[in-house]
Amino acid sequence: MHTNTRILANKFEYLDPKSLSEALNILDEYQKKNIKILAGGTDLLVKMKTIELNIDYLLYIKEIAELNFINTSNGLSIGATIPFSHIIKEDKIKTEYTALYEAIQAIAAPAIRNMGTVAGNIGNASPAADTVPALIVFDAQVLIESKQSKRTLFLKDLFLGPGKTVLRNDELITRIEVPEVKPNTGSAFIKKSRVKADLAKINLAVAVQRKGQNCENCKIAFGSVAATVVRAENTEKLLEGKALTEELISKAAQGVADEIKPIDDIRSTAEYRIAMSREMLQDALSLAWARTYSEAKPNLKGGGE
Amino acid sequence: MLEQKEHKFDILGRDYDIKNIGKVTGEEKYSCDINIPGQLHAVILRSPYAHAEIKEVDYTEAEKMGAICIGPQDVPDVIYNERIVSIPAKTYRDRTVFPKDKVRHVGEAIAACAAETEGKAFEALKKIKVIWGEKWEPLVTLDDAMSPDAPAIYDNVFLGEERVKISNNLACDRNIDVGDIEEGFKEADIIADETFDVQRVYHMQLETKSAVCQPEADGGITLWTTTQGIHNVRILLGQIFSIPLSRINVKRITLGGSFGSSIQMNSVTPICVALALKARKPVKLVTTREEDMYDHSSYPLKTRLKVGVKKDGTLTAAHCQVWLEIGGHNIQAYPYLGCVAGWFASLYRWKNLRYEGKAYYSNKGPACARRGYGSPQVNFPVENMIDILAEKLGMDPIEFRRKNYVGKGEEFWGQGPTVRSLIRSCGVEEMLDRGAELIEWDKKSELKNKNGKIKRGIGVARGFHTSGTGGPKAGEVIDYSGATVKINEDGSVDVITALMDHGGGTWEAGAKVAAEVLKVPFEKVSIDNGVDTRTTVFDVNTHATRGVYCGCGAIKYVAEKVKEMLLNYAATLFEDRPENLVLALNEELGQGIIYPIDLPEKYKTIAEIADHARINSVGTFVYTSTLRQKNCPPCFITYFTEVEVNTETGEISVPRVVMMGDSGTIINPELWKGQILGAYALGIGLGKLEDIPYNKESGKLNCNGLITDFKVPITTDMPHTDNITVEHAHTYEPTGPFGAKGIGEAALSAVASSFGNAVYDAVGIRFHKLPITPEVMLKALQDKNRIGGKNKDAH
Amino acid sequence: MRKIPIKFTINGQQKEALVQSNELLINLLRDELYLTGTKYGCGIGECGACTVFVDDELVLACLTLAVTVDGKEITTIEGLAKGKELHPMQVSFLKNAAVQCGFCTPGMIMTAISLMKENPDPSEEEIREYMRGNICRCTGYTQIIKAIKEYAHNMKA
Repeated sequence: MHTNTRILANKFEYLDPKSLSEALNILDEYQKKNIKILAGGTDLLVKMKTIELNIDYLLYIKEIAELNFINTSNGLSIGATIPFSHIIKEDKIKTEYTALYEAIQAIAAPAIRNMGTVAGNIGNASPAADTVPALIVFDAQVLIESKQSKRTLFLKDLFLGPGKTVLRNDELITRIEVPEVKPNTGSAFIKKSRVKADLAKINLAVAVQRKGQNCENCKIAFGSVAATVVRAENTEKLLEGKALTEELISKAAQGVADEIKPIDDIRSTAEYRIAMSREMLQDALSLAWARTYSEAKPNLKGGGE
Repeated sequence: MLEQKEHKFDILGRDYDIKNIGKVTGEEKYSCDINIPGQLHAVILRSPYAHAEIKEVDYTEAEKMGAICIGPQDVPDVIYNERIVSIPAKTYRDRTVFPKDKVRHVGEAIAACAAETEGKAFEALKKIKVIWGEKWEPLVTLDDAMSPDAPAIYDNVFLGEERVKISNNLACDRNIDVGDIEEGFKEADIIADETFDVQRVYHMQLETKSAVCQPEADGGITLWTTTQGIHNVRILLGQIFSIPLSRINVKRITLGGSFGSSIQMNSVTPICVALALKARKPVKLVTTREEDMYDHSSYPLKTRLKVGVKKDGTLTAAHCQVWLEIGGHNIQAYPYLGCVAGWFASLYRWKNLRYEGKAYYSNKGPACARRGYGSPQVNFPVENMIDILAEKLGMDPIEFRRKNYVGKGEEFWGQGPTVRSLIRSCGVEEMLDRGAELIEWDKKSELKNKNGKIKRGIGVARGFHTSGTGGPKAGEVIDYSGATVKINEDGSVDVITALMDHGGGTWEAGAKVAAEVLKVPFEKVSIDNGVDTRTTVFDVNTHATRGVYCGCGAIKYVAEKVKEMLLNYAATLFEDRPENLVLALNEELGQGIIYPIDLPEKYKTIAEIADHARINSVGTFVYTSTLRQKNCPPCFITYFTEVEVNTETGEISVPRVVMMGDSGTIINPELWKGQILGAYALGIGLGKLEDIPYNKESGKLNCNGLITDFKVPITTDMPHTDNITVEHAHTYEPTGPFGAKGIGEAALSAVASSFGNAVYDAVGIRFHKLPITPEVMLKALQDKNRIGGKNKDAH
Repeated sequence: MRKIPIKFTINGQQKEALVQSNELLINLLRDELYLTGTKYGCGIGECGACTVFVDDELVLACLTLAVTVDGKEITTIEGLAKGKELHPMQVSFLKNAAVQCGFCTPGMIMTAISLMKENPDPSEEEIREYMRGNICRCTGYTQIIKAIKEYAHNMKA
């Protein structure tokens, strides 16, 4: 009971580099110190207010112009500091990366989407992060830079547990790269939450690629049902190479619960999450499959119901 | 059936958009917006334990940092109850400003610091050392609190001046018998016996509680604070700090919502005063959201209801037993138990009734009134029961209600068993009929979707609230309001009143009533802030849906005296008798005018008359008085809620609703609708979303006081605006100001009940416990399928 | 702690301030500039009462460091009216009884104006989705939604 959400009690030194190299130099210099990276502030400042997360140095990266970009010429290249709301202004997100579009629309509310960033959503490593399942089904990679090195990881390999990633203290996620979507791909994102502006009880993204009448490739990622976002790989395998009939989708839904490990928490119960994983998988697969055929309109209202 | 006679008004019933300008420009000041040069900012140290002995609070180190600090040793020993709406003999007292012996809930204030900035104060706060003694297991459920082995939260408290012993954590109880229920149940052909639980919820008023206190040179104080009644705050502070009331000035200031959470003096107020007195500097203390959530909530209620009915639908007896846990302080459990009895007794003609209520202390934040004061909590069991009985009887739920409701000429218990009066205006039948027509009740079965995953249903529920706590006898509750009305020298009017407005339009109504009496344009009547306990006469509180009926009733009474003075003086100018003069509103002139009867062209404006009185040193037309209403008329509400249940996800939505309200004359039409619409959202929150569970081990709120995990309805939870119908009954309350009675709390009483009945209609499951979350619904649907799809109960 | 000088525009006026690194925009506005129309409701970005514009985009002042508005343009509820002339969204809120206690109103109006900039002709569904981060406990939202619809309708006409 010793929080005070009106102020930021924690005193820290504020560092606001204007270039990426400056930022990486700072991280290199301060890597042994208690430093955190601030972008949108919608997660970090909340934590600093509510769980007495004390830090000594705050690296504010939002003013680094070279990270504030989105490039859609070859797949997607999303800079670390571009806010969610700017990303979805790109038509390509809505038409080709529909699940990502829907995931972003499902995040909290407009002001938060003006502040928060995809890199922040990723770096925060919340199992409930809405953009993560969507990015995973599109095989997103993250570019991680430090003064000394540069490496690229598949997003799915970044997470170790709630709030934990493989990132070193001197590293910064600078960019998210998403490959070009293959032809005849459809995707969808669905989220269940207590109210619409909320963290997910459970969320789900699927992307399916159709070849002829069959599913050539399928990716399914669930959030908020395990310590990290999880892929339902057995279910994916079950679906690949087959036509996604109602019957097959229903069969896939029956088995999918074995691939998640939800718990009871303040937002929902394990039991409910398991039940929803089945319902949501059916809905998302049907929707994504339909979208492989047509320019089926994405759900402009975002995720949720 | 229609009661309303032709009543024509110049000003009532029109919508104006001028009173709230400051709220759209950001200029409106709430207590948290008050800043005084040189002020210190204060923060409070709160208990991390639910039930623990305080051995010592040492703030030496905090003071070394330059903070002004207070702890239990610095506050008066006066044991008080922060709510003084009930008479002293019926008021339980169990607290001091800070607890002197032990804390009784997590978040209880134990010390406070003030410093130049909130950051500095907060830093100093962390240096305060508390030495804790014995700790006890937290009692966070009713069953735990009632357990014979439970640790005692109190040994003794005071009831009035009498010391009373507390046993088994029983804070208070109330038992009422009317008639003979044993005989009544013998007469019954059908008896139903069911238990229901309505949960504790947090008010979540947008403005957290705050106080700004300026110590004055003469030892007095000036105070701005969140409150529904400035005079009671002054009286309490006078008692606690032994300051004459003439030296305490509490400013009336706009409230950022309250819903009952500031009927009592808020816990931060005396802390702020104690700090300011010690610092001899102005102190500002604004609580955070997480502090606020530990500070107050609604009362929960567990109800066992047994009702007997004859085959023809005549009720014969009802036995209502209620239990609740009230948290670590008894703010108003005794009157609450009385009011729950009253709401129960006044809904239907039970013929014979027995009521037994028991309230237990627990180690949670202290519960207090919340919109409806027990009415939503007992309405849910009763209105579910009425549907259960109607089904058993094979009778239409509307027909069954029509047959048994308490209406005109019958007695209404407006505030428990001691405040009752006869009902004179009643729109119940009109609302049932019209509402059924609007929702197309007769086509309700066509909604049913037998095979699809979405099930639809419609539920009806009716409720009410009192309009104030007046009555023929004074009873246990203090109720009167007061005002000063004066005609200014330009013909404009000042209404000076302590009456508070929660945002529902009470002040607008007060100005309209004065304008209507004095025939002055609405724009020329001020009822603005800038008044305080020094300039106003007593007004008990804006609670109990009394703002319009009692508060504006007093304004009307006083305005009529001023009108009499005005006409008497005008009579001397016209050289006629006052009864031969006409007072009228002239909209073209934008003035009230007076003329000799049938000679309108010979008019004088009120401005001319008032200024004449000034120039001739006659004096000001002004009157000050108080008024106690002698009745407590019910304002009725009826809801027809349609729900859609997704049987695969358990999610419930409300696609359509018909809302019928009975407030007599409607003074502020759009704001009146707003009261109902707003209450509906609160009710939907109660029905399917809101809950504030505490952790059994730590005694903390599971959500830690953060609204991240206390969800309330948002824009997407309400039906489409085209699918919401709000209409009013055509009634006239003969004892109310211009025929008006209240609405605010009535509007919440039956929302969750209509929702629950609609859910039953949709899926055949009777939910006995709120909220019906998707998790709860899905489990109940699975259980139902397991037993072969028959209608069932969910507990 | 070292104070950091910042320059910004607030409601059209240039201002300079010295702020601590951990100072929040909401407190800079309320406690130093006395622009108290921006309200503290939860402090954690859940209620929308502190919504303001920074460089024409909605942000939550309770989760914005004051130092980060250096060089930026801030508009608060106090900056909407032109002298005595209210912004038409303010008028629409008044006319539709969309204001009760008024504590959520500044944030609501800021969000509604932002919606109109992005989508001048929104459907009711779009209005609700856009406004979903602003909690109101008094009105049940219906009259707020009506106020926004009416504003959009009037602007079209």
